[in-house]
Formats: sequence, C-alpha cells, structure tokens
Amino acid sequence: MATAAVPLDEATHAGSHEISFIRKYIFSTDHKIIGIQFMLMSLIFLLVGGILAAMIRWQLGFPNTSMPGGGILPETMAPGGILLPEFYNSLVTMHGTIMVFFAIMPLLVGVYGNYLIPLKLGAPDMAFPRLNMASFWVAVPAGILMMAGFFVEGGHAAAGWTVYAPLSADPEWTGVSTGQQLWLLSLAVLGLSSILGATNYITTVVNMRAPGMTWFRMPLSIWALFVTSILVLLAIPILSGAAIMLFFDQTIGTHFFDALDGGQPLLWQHLFWYFGHPEVYILILPAMGFVSDIIANASRKPIFGYHSMVYAIIAIGFLGWVVWGHHMFQSGMNPTLGTTFMISTLFIAVPSAIKTFNWMGTMWRGNIRFHVPMLHATAFVAMFVIGGLSGVFMASNTFDIYIHDTYFIVAHIHYVLFGGSLFAIFGAITFWYPKMFGRMMNPFWGKVHFVLTFIFFNLAFFPMHSLGVAGHMRRIYDPTQYEFLQPLQPVNTFISISVFLLVLSQLPFALNFILSWFNGAKAPDNPWDDNGLEWSVPSPPPHGNFKETPTVYRGAYEFSSPLVEEDFLPQNKKLDSDPEPAQAAGH
Amino acid sequence: MTEAAQHKRPNYMGIWVGLAALTLVELGVAFLPWSKQVIILLLVGLAVWKALMVALYFMHLRFEGNRMRIFAIAPLPLTVIIVIAVLTEYVW
Amino acid sequence: MAHAAVMQPPPKREVGADVYNEKLGMWVFLGSEVMFFTALIGSYIILRFGNPDAWTAPGAILNIPITAVNTFLLICSSMTMVKAFAAAQDGDQQRLKLYLVATVLIGATFVGVQAYEYTQLVHHGFVPSGYLVGGELAERAAAGELPASVGIYGSTFYTMTGFHGFHVTMGVLCMIFVTWKAFRGKYTATDHRGVEVIGLYWHFVDLVWIILFTIVYLI
Repeated sequence: MATAAVPLDEATHAGSHEISFIRKYIFSTDHKIIGIQFMLMSLIFLLVGGILAAMIRWQLGFPNTSMPGGGILPETMAPGGILLPEFYNSLVTMHGTIMVFFAIMPLLVGVYGNYLIPLKLGAPDMAFPRLNMASFWVAVPAGILMMAGFFVEGGHAAAGWTVYAPLSADPEWTGVSTGQQLWLLSLAVLGLSSILGATNYITTVVNMRAPGMTWFRMPLSIWALFVTSILVLLAIPILSGAAIMLFFDQTIGTHFFDALDGGQPLLWQHLFWYFGHPEVYILILPAMGFVSDIIANASRKPIFGYHSMVYAIIAIGFLGWVVWGHHMFQSGMNPTLGTTFMISTLFIAVPSAIKTFNWMGTMWRGNIRFHVPMLHATAFVAMFVIGGLSGVFMASNTFDIYIHDTYFIVAHIHYVLFGGSLFAIFGAITFWYPKMFGRMMNPFWGKVHFVLTFIFFNLAFFPMHSLGVAGHMRRIYDPTQYEFLQPLQPVNTFISISVFLLVLSQLPFALNFILSWFNGAKAPDNPWDDNGLEWSVPSPPPHGNFKETPTVYRGAYEFSSPLVEEDFLPQNKKLDSDPEPAQAAGH
Repeated sequence: MTEAAQHKRPNYMGIWVGLAALTLVELGVAFLPWSKQVIILLLVGLAVWKALMVALYFMHLRFEGNRMRIFAIAPLPLTVIIVIAVLTEYVW
Repeated sequence: MAHAAVMQPPPKREVGADVYNEKLGMWVFLGSEVMFFTALIGSYIILRFGNPDAWTAPGAILNIPITAVNTFLLICSSMTMVKAFAAAQDGDQQRLKLYLVATVLIGATFVGVQAYEYTQLVHHGFVPSGYLVGGELAERAAAGELPASVGIYGSTFYTMTGFHGFHVTMGVLCMIFVTWKAFRGKYTATDHRGVEVIGLYWHFVDLVWIILFTIVYLI
C-alpha cells in the first residue's frame, strides 16, 4: 500500500475544509451526497407511483364503487370517490411514467451510478463534480413539472406511458392538452439530466480508475453501470428528439405524427421504442450488476464465469438496439421487419441465460449467508427467470398476436421491473445502506419486509398471466362491462387485495430505512466481509473518499481464497506474491 | 494537453479553402439538369467529404489514438440501424 | 506561464482513453448529440421518403443564396476556432483573443442571418404548420405552382434548422465565456483545455450544418 501512495489532487483536499451547510448538503458536488439526494427523490416518487397503482387496482377490483379516501380528490378526478374514466387513464399513464423515469431509473442509475462508481474504482469523486450536481438539480424541476400535470386544467397526460401518436398528438382524443405538454417537457428536461449523468459516469469509468483497476478487475456492478451509461447516453437523446417533435405537434402545429398532412404516426412508435428498448436494459442491467456482487459476497465464492458475465452484459447492451420492433408486432409495420425482430429478440435469451446460470453456479455449493440483501438477490434471480421466460413467449410474432395488449404483458413487465429491478434495488439499498449512512438496517424487519413483499408480489402479479391469456385487455377502465370478462372479476378483486397488501408491506421497509438512519447500530467499515474498495474506507466515507489512492491487485470476487486466513481478500490488499501494477501517470 | 502538439499541424487554411470550394461545387451540382438520383448521390457524397474534413482535421480525429476514434464513431452504426429499418416500411 | 505552477500533479491512474477528462467528456457528450440529431434528421429522411410530394425543388421556397452565405460564415468560424486553438498551443495570447472574438462574432452573425431567414419565410407564408393561410405561398400553391400541402416540409425544416440554431446559440454563449477567460489570461501553452473542448463542440455543430445544408436546402 505505502509504496503506491500518491498525494491526492488539490481539489480533494480543498473539499475537506469546512464548507457551508448549503454547499455540503443541498448544492453539493460530492458524489455521495448527490447519490443520497437522488435516493430520497426517487424513493418519494416510488411511493407516489405505488399510490397511483393502488388507485388503479381499486377501480379494477371494485369497479365503480367509492374509493376509501377518494373523497379528498376533486370533482374532476373522482366525484364521490368514484374514479372517472379520464382520471383512470391519467393514473395508468402516470403510474408507468413515474415508476420508469422517476423511480426505478434514478434508483438504479442516479443513486448507485453516483455512489458506487468513484468508490468502487478508487477515485476521489466523479470526473466532473459540478456537472454531477447540475444533473441532480436538473432532475428536480423535471419531477416538479411532471407532478404539476395533475393540477392543470384537463388533467394529466392520459395516452399511456408510451404516449402513442396520434392519440397523444391531438387533445381531441384524450381531452388533455396542457398535461400532455408538461409530460413531454418534463421528459426532455429529465433527459438532459440523464445525459449529463451518463457523460460523467462514462468519463469516470474510463479515466478515473485507480492503479491496478484494469477493465477486467472492475466489479460487475461497475461493468453493468458502465454499459448502462452508454445506453442512457445514446438512447435518451432519441426520446428527447421525439418528445420535442410531439411537443411541437401539440403547440406550434407541426405535422410529424399527423397522417393527414404527410406525417407518420408509426414513426413515433419506432422512435419511442428505439429509445424504449435500450431503456428496458437500462432498468435491468444495473440490477444484474448489483445482484452479481451480492450473490458472490453471500455465497463466499468467486463469481462463476466473470468474463462471460462481462461479455453477457456487453451483448445485452448491444442487442438492446436491434430488437425494438418486438414492441410493435401488432402496429401494422412491415412484416419482414417483424420476423427480423423476432429472431434478434430470441438471441437475447442467450446472454440472459448465461447470467442466470452463472448466478446459480456461484451459489452452487457455496457457504451461503442469507442476509437480507442476499434474500432480495435470490428473489431477483427467481423472478427474473419467470419474467424472462414469458419474455421468450412474447418474442414470438405469432404468439404475440394473441396476447399483445393484454394482462399477460402487464404480468411480464412487472415480473422484470418489480420482481427484477425493484428486488435488486431493495437488495442494493440494504447492502450499501451501512456504507451510505454509517448505520446498519434492522435485519429482522428487513426479513419481514422481504417475506411479505415476495409473497404479495407473486399473489398480485402471477394471476395476471392467466387474466391475459383469458383476453383481459390492459388499460381498461371497467372490466365488468364485457360479458366475457365478468367471470374473471373475482381474480381481479384478489389481485387488487394483494396489491394493497403489497403496498402495505413496504411500511416495514420505509420505517426501517428512516429509523435506522438515526437509531441503527453503528456500521463497521466492512460489515459484509466484502472485497470492494468502498469497504476499505470508513462508513460513511469522508469527502474525497480515500486518504491515499488505493492500488488494486485483483478482481472483486476473491472469496474463500486459500492464500489468506479470512474468507475474503480485499482488492487493495497486497500479498507478497502480488506484482505492483504497471502504473500510468496522468497527463 | 500536449497530445495535439506532438503531430505536425495540418494546413488549416487549406482545409478552409477546400470546404468553401466544395460548398460552391455543391451549389453548382444541385442545379444541374441531371436525374434526381444522381444529383442526390453526388450531393450526399460531397457532404460526407466535407464532414470528414471537419472531423479529421478541425476536430483532430486524424491525430487521435485509436481509442478516441472508437469513441467518436461508436454511435454511427446506431444512426444507420434506425433509419434503414424504418425506411423498409416504404421500400419493400 | 504563471498559471502552469498552479496545476496539480495528477494522481496516478489506470490508462483510460489516453486523453484528459474534459476532452473525453466532450466526445462522449457529442455521442449523445449525434443521437439527438439522428432523431431529427432520421425522421426527416423517413418522412420525406414516405411523402416526397410535400417537398419542392431546391430554392422554390427556401432562400438558397442567403443560406449559402451563412454556410460560408459557419465554415469561416470553424477556421477561426481552429486558429484560436493553434494560437493557444503556441501560447500566442494576442492571436488567441483575436480569433476567439472573431469566432463569437461570426457565430452570432450566423444566428442573426438565420433569424432574418425565418422572418422572410414567415413573411412569404411558410410556417411550421405549412402554408400560412392567405399568405403569398398559399396563393401560389392554389395556382398550382407549388405542392398543395407542405405541412411536413415546414415541420421538419423549422425543427431541424431551429435546433441547429439553438445549438449555435449555446455554442456562442459558451464561447463568450471562454473568450472572457482568455482575456483574463487563463489559457496557456500547456493548459488550454477550455479552448480545445469548446472547439470540438463548435466543429461538431458546423459538421451538422454541413449535412443539414445539403439535405434540407439542396436536395
């Protein structure tokens, strides 16, 4: 260690001097504070999205009855507590939008991209700390714009989170004008925040790694965040461009998506999904990365097939660009394209299966510690397999004719987004909470939260598969109005009750999160006996992270190594047999 | 900060004259009485030529290492994929 | 140079892209800009293939002479920009300031000419939604001289050139900041990262205009 000690640059030292409260906690340039800011913001949005989901389920489970507490909503949303169809459309739209763009995506990329990348790579901060601050403070107005839509005349955007044109392009059809415009503006602004963030992450990963942290020693979470950042960087501008065109269609009378005057409604779908499918992997790749770290740690074994994991991440990242048409099989697009997209989509099963088998190979005959993060990680693997298998079904052009736009799709997306991403997020939060806040979360209530969430999640979403196969359309206001769906109403009621209990099950987590912040047991530097560089610094790490730039001698997964007595071998621990890495001086 | 200084500086004025001349050629080609397809091919070729001159000499891609060049051209396949795929809606 | 002494010895690192952070960051950011313009230009190509009759022959509606001059201006500004960079490399403060000011002025002129072009087009009755009702062009269309409807032509034209103009404007604002720093002597022969990075952005915007000028005005 000592031989590798180099002085940190001035900027880092300057930061450790006293700085005002506002500079330290509000307009902070410290990547750790910004990560926590993102976490608080996106957890609030997760709560909002969950409440919207509960309202949707009330209408579906108990159609046209007065919703408990619905009386506080204004007449334009729910007269007498009964949700209006127009408001129901807004609910469906905003549940999807908020969950995807303001909850899951910032939780995965905003929080852990910020928090983990410099810490795990041995850097004092991001490459551009001020840009990093800007990225958060651009995301906040985007969130405010998005929430403002609920309060404007005509209600919030109601064309679905995919805002298909022409439905979204003209207020004539949804009755919404201002709400839809705010929606589009908000996403354009949020896009800027994401692009600034991704620029920062990519530059940091490429240029700021500590000596010895070669590409193939990087933890899989960093690999996943790196590939995700590339996807964010290149996919989000497509959405921004498309959103701006749709915004102009609404405001200054352009005709991009207006078939009457030379536009192409299908172009919106192509652009949206050209962004949208990489977005799907933006929402799952970091989750896969965190789960890989947690599973290796809890199994006390090196990750099985590290290189194949890395190549699988890269392969998924690339394939994400050539499969967008599988969202559009029934849109009337060119059938030749449909077949092409079906084949390319089926290819994705290969890297996904590689990852799944590698996780199982890691756990196989491991001395598994079932701590709370590990419980969530195993749930991730199981739920991802279910969601992934229904995904393989849907990739088939012909099967999709039958199940498209039904609850089968809803079940699939929730198995990968909630069962996949959100379980991984819970795992990541519980795993890195000690490092972020310097306190341990209560393991008992963590387990209670996990068990309840796992049970009610499956009770809520698994029956949706059968609803979908029975022909239950997604996004309908009142299923009982169709005779063929009336026998299925008890299933709907069952799902709704499960969803309410699922929302309630988050209470132990919320309380655990808040109370542990103040009252949790003091966290040691390395509570999980992990190898990553972030565990070699105090919890929480000081401004500037490392007293001296660490030197890295091995990958992040040297568990149960015969070379040392403990069953873990930190990346920066020098053994006598380790050669000094060929260091590169900066410029 | 010194990478660019290590190579021989390109003739910036020459590039500038070349760009201006190619623009004039474009203006001429656009109004030739040839078939539309030929003119479009010629114009696109000229535009790509000009764009390459800017990227290679003004943006110094010609003098960067291979890693930087890969970064610079990485998004280009993606731009081609979307346009070609959606164009098949009309061509087939 | 006085400021060279302030530069910190950089910490040792793994070899990354072999360039400094700001330059790498700008190239990465330009990657996202490429995709943004792909959304706009790609849509234009697709829409034009789908509905070729909504476009006129070059020069029928758009003013080619004035935009040709504007194209020349932007090429000139790229040249002054790269000369400013060369001056910064040589540590020639006078020429650095001169060329930066020239770049700012030429860039601002470009935006001004574009604003003039827009007002002229609107005056003739060409707006983002197509013909302005009762405008001069609408009358010529009614007489059969022009396509019956150019809605999608106007939409793509104003969106693409407008966003390019927006990028030039942003570039000019950043360039003013860089010029101000240059006048305070912040750029030396050893450290002139700001000049190089803003230059990359500026040339990229020029490159986009080269494409736009060809496919929007000449084809």
